[in-house]
Amino acid sequence: MIGSVVKELIGLFVDDGLLAASILCAIAFIGALALSGMAPAWLVGLILALALPAALVASVLRGVPRKSRSE
Amino acid sequence: MSNLTTIISVAGASFAASFVEAVEALTVVLAVGLARGWRPALTGAAAALAALALIVAILGPLMSAVPIRALQFVVGVLTLLFGLRWLRKAILRAIGIIALHDEDAAFQRETRELSEVGREAYGFDWIGGMTAFKIVLMEGVEVAFIVIAVGAGRGLLGLASAGALAACIAVAAIGAAVHRPLARVPENTLKFAVGIMLSAFGLFWTGESLGVDWPGGDAAILAFVALFLAVALGLVTVLKPREAALA
Repeated sequence: MIGSVVKELIGLFVDDGLLAASILCAIAFIGALALSGMAPAWLVGLILALALPAALVASVLRGVPRKSRSE
Repeated sequence: MSNLTTIISVAGASFAASFVEAVEALTVVLAVGLARGWRPALTGAAAALAALALIVAILGPLMSAVPIRALQFVVGVLTLLFGLRWLRKAILRAIGIIALHDEDAAFQRETRELSEVGREAYGFDWIGGMTAFKIVLMEGVEVAFIVIAVGAGRGLLGLASAGALAACIAVAAIGAAVHRPLARVPENTLKFAVGIMLSAFGLFWTGESLGVDWPGGDAAILAFVALFLAVALGLVTVLKPREAALA
């Protein structure tokens, strides 16, 4: 019972593991840029606003059967 | 302007997302009620609501002790994971790759499965009670997270809670009146819209927690809504005809 609840709780946030991983990697990279001061705040925001929709697009395209994409 | 934008966004997103979750919980509670009896269905649901209230009562005060930047970051990242997951699934359903969620079919399946399991002649029906408890607890946790996701970043938990509560009361009232699952609710459209809203909120909070001063302040949330909407509709527009041609 508790195991299945924990599994479902994780499932709230993770469905496509690669989508979750790419979101977390993008935020980690952008967070490192922001905290190190290597990029100005506006650039951090711009990268964030581009990276997340890109992660979504990549995930949806991975979800589309290969055959249909090649035709 | 930006305050009004925030208020409408927070209350609307909380209401719509909670409505979807409440519809899913209602379907299973109705199935338990019709297949196993109303006593385990309502007892299980009430016990889950009590457990949820306890969780919120314990964890709620802890949130005010967390620094706002840290709270925005954690809530922002979790909201992005949650929102983009919803949006991805809604896009794949709109394209036709994943079947649309059918409340009627889910109701029939739950009712059939619950009817097949034997029960004790006397005493409380634990299978029915636990089934209702689990679904209400799980969907309730999702509602609680949605409330935190859209309300915590700006201290609007009360407003978000009111939106969620209104949705749950509306679904419970309709369910009590019709005794049928709410199959006509356009669930994927709601999930599509809520996925966009949550993703926009997540992007906003995460950026703000990393020191980004978004142009236009809270109104930037609307720009992010437009961004995710354009991306999602673009994907559906491009990919749906290909899938339809292959079907």
